[in-house]
Amino acid sequence: MFKSYHKLVSMVTIVALASVSAMATSDVSRTYANGKKVIDGGMTYPVKNGKTSSYYVNTQKAYKNIRFGRVATANEIKAWDMDIMPDGTGLPDGKGSVEEGDEIYEAKCSACHFDFGAGGSGYPALQQGNAYEMQKTLKLQRLHPDDDGPKRNIGSYWPYASTLFWYIKTGMPHPAPMSLTDDEVYALVAYILSINEIQIDGEDLEDEFILSKENFSKIVMPNKDGFIPKIEGKNGLENIRNFYDKPKNFGGNKKRCMKNCFDGKPKVARIQGVGISDYNPPISEKKEKPAKKEVAGIKNVAKDTYESSCAVCHGTDAMGAPVFGDKKAWATVLKKGLDKVYENGIHGINGMPPKGGTLLEDAAFKSVVDYIISQSK
Amino acid sequence: MNKSMNVSEKVESTAEHSSRRDFFRKTATYSVSALVAASVMAPVKVKAEDDPAIMEEQPWATAWGKPVTYNLYGQPSPYESNVTRRTTELLSSGNMKASIAVTPIQDLSGIITPNGLFFNRCHGGTPEIDPNRHRLMIHGLVEKPLVLTMDQLKKYPNVSRIHFIECPANGGPEWRNPQFPSIQFAKGFMSCAEWTGVYIKDILKDLGLKPAAKWMLAEGGDSSHMGRTIPIDKVLDDAMIVWGQNGEALRPEQGYPIRLLVPGWEGNLCVKWLSRLEFASEPYYCKEETAKYTALTKHDGKAIQHFYANEVNSVITSPCPEKPWTDLKKGDIVEIEGLAWSGMGTIEGVDISFDGGKNWIEASLKGLVLPKAWTRFSYIYQYDGKPILLSSRARDDAGYVQPSVKQERDAVGVESVYHRNGIHTWEVTEKGEVHNVQILS
Repeated sequence: MFKSYHKLVSMVTIVALASVSAMATSDVSRTYANGKKVIDGGMTYPVKNGKTSSYYVNTQKAYKNIRFGRVATANEIKAWDMDIMPDGTGLPDGKGSVEEGDEIYEAKCSACHFDFGAGGSGYPALQQGNAYEMQKTLKLQRLHPDDDGPKRNIGSYWPYASTLFWYIKTGMPHPAPMSLTDDEVYALVAYILSINEIQIDGEDLEDEFILSKENFSKIVMPNKDGFIPKIEGKNGLENIRNFYDKPKNFGGNKKRCMKNCFDGKPKVARIQGVGISDYNPPISEKKEKPAKKEVAGIKNVAKDTYESSCAVCHGTDAMGAPVFGDKKAWATVLKKGLDKVYENGIHGINGMPPKGGTLLEDAAFKSVVDYIISQSK
Repeated sequence: MNKSMNVSEKVESTAEHSSRRDFFRKTATYSVSALVAASVMAPVKVKAEDDPAIMEEQPWATAWGKPVTYNLYGQPSPYESNVTRRTTELLSSGNMKASIAVTPIQDLSGIITPNGLFFNRCHGGTPEIDPNRHRLMIHGLVEKPLVLTMDQLKKYPNVSRIHFIECPANGGPEWRNPQFPSIQFAKGFMSCAEWTGVYIKDILKDLGLKPAAKWMLAEGGDSSHMGRTIPIDKVLDDAMIVWGQNGEALRPEQGYPIRLLVPGWEGNLCVKWLSRLEFASEPYYCKEETAKYTALTKHDGKAIQHFYANEVNSVITSPCPEKPWTDLKKGDIVEIEGLAWSGMGTIEGVDISFDGGKNWIEASLKGLVLPKAWTRFSYIYQYDGKPILLSSRARDDAGYVQPSVKQERDAVGVESVYHRNGIHTWEVTEKGEVHNVQILS
């Protein structure tokens, strides 16, 4: 009797000790206050005794009564709310044909994305062939040097065309976003779908095909079901929670091996050749003052600006802009008079955004124009 | 500040006319030849083993330094000019306007990245936003849609938290093979700072979130209009709108005047130049959550979307390719040091291996250990001049342990691009050179 009583006491002591140590670490939890598991499979740090983790927090109740700012007006919301949902919510009125898209593409997109969306020079390809065939390549893994890899592209990879409309409308052309009309965006979406050989209702998209707000929801992308976990619908968040609760779903590991963790000697993979080592600036461990740069004259600054901001359009005739170094083209431009050339450049003209999309002061911008003209005489 | 300049000018001119003019002239003469000065001050015969850095008077010790008016916003020493972000053509498009410049983690100490070295990823260049003309709009499934000026936003009581931001493509170019002979490029797509701002949940107390709200769209006001969709669970847990970084305003390339901070999650979710938050019942499918930032697995070509947390990870920062052991002698006792981090929680410990991950011993953590923040680890080692395969392996309080490269490839394949956290290994050669390798055992 006494013995078991003693046992009981020590058990109580152990329980008490355990709960003390639990209290000390109880500001770490796998679940939120609502009892649900943390959505990313990780931990949350609720405020306990005025602290979260190592940080003290102000827990005065008045915290919840703080209000600043003002109610947004309906017009303001309309002006900024340009997102397009997968079901087409947010699509503006408008329409455009594949043929129109082709023309706009040639004029405003091909300088970077090249003919037929082939991509290059650091700008992504917009197609790599028939989308339905390319979608099948997503199963490929390049385990050996000569293996073909997956082709991730608009047609082969993207789940919804709404993303394409939204992207072009708010982000393209890259040097001058927000410069396209809604009709132009519809036309470009139609054209890009057509070069990916996407079909709608089983039909190829011919030149005459017109995409509009009304038929947009008929687009079904080949890789619509290519993504896990499923995030749409009523159970979207719970699907995500369950997905990240299971380490094997995303390659998580919970084993900590300390000895003899693999058989034999380690198999070592090394960098092939010099690897990727063209760094700007090159790696250096030397502690020395930078070499004195030549005093950057206006011409050098203008040259740098030309190369970083203007060459994308003025470098070739693909964009319809007068080409750098083309004496005849610039002589024609200059017939308007230099002041007019400055003015057009500052305010933008045709496809050219104001100041070519740069943030230069007027005087600095003019020096860039001077530089281009000086090199085109 | 102009005043103090006048004072120093005055001192100078007074000296010119003072009776001590000769003395100043004399000093100036001595400074011309440092060695002469040394022998005048301490007449000793300089021997070959004596260090000129000690024996000679240095120019900075014999003349005035710069006035306090110089560089009113301070700059690093010009001798630190090699410590800088770096770029490479491979990771660039859009004339360096949709690109990344990575952090020299080999040169950092502690867990805070200086603002000028914080890695910079953008999708349409760095805008120069006038804060007086920048607004934050919060709308959608809320009772009260709101517009805040920057001054109004900053009226909210602020909190400061130390968190890393990591691009999920950190280490991503090396899924199939090691590629970079450099820690800056192999692991420098990340940085860590103390951020100051307001929890979104504190603003939502006033706005009244509707029960149907499950998702928050965050959108930038720059030319790329970068957007990302964030589940409400994270918004109500620890997502912040921040304006402060290491005690000062965000740098333009970090989102000035405000950015979203989603602690521990993919860096691209921390939308810079933040201008709009919209709450909705369904996810949005933004451009950067389909074309990019989805991880293709080997499972029937399915890709993981909404891959949030940067998983537990670590790298040894000393030695590394940039900081080799070529100057060590056999028997030298040296510190092996590194960084560990987890977007799922707090670092619990780090193990070190000298044989490519076959056998492990536990290293020490050092300094502050905070959730979703860089954590330093350390191991004191006696160098014996033999080649080693030096690896680190971190674990976090969620129970996750870094997988080996083989385990990770076996689980998801080699085409994910993102979220690679396999154990990183340096090969230290007999000469003390350090090479980037992967262990496939």
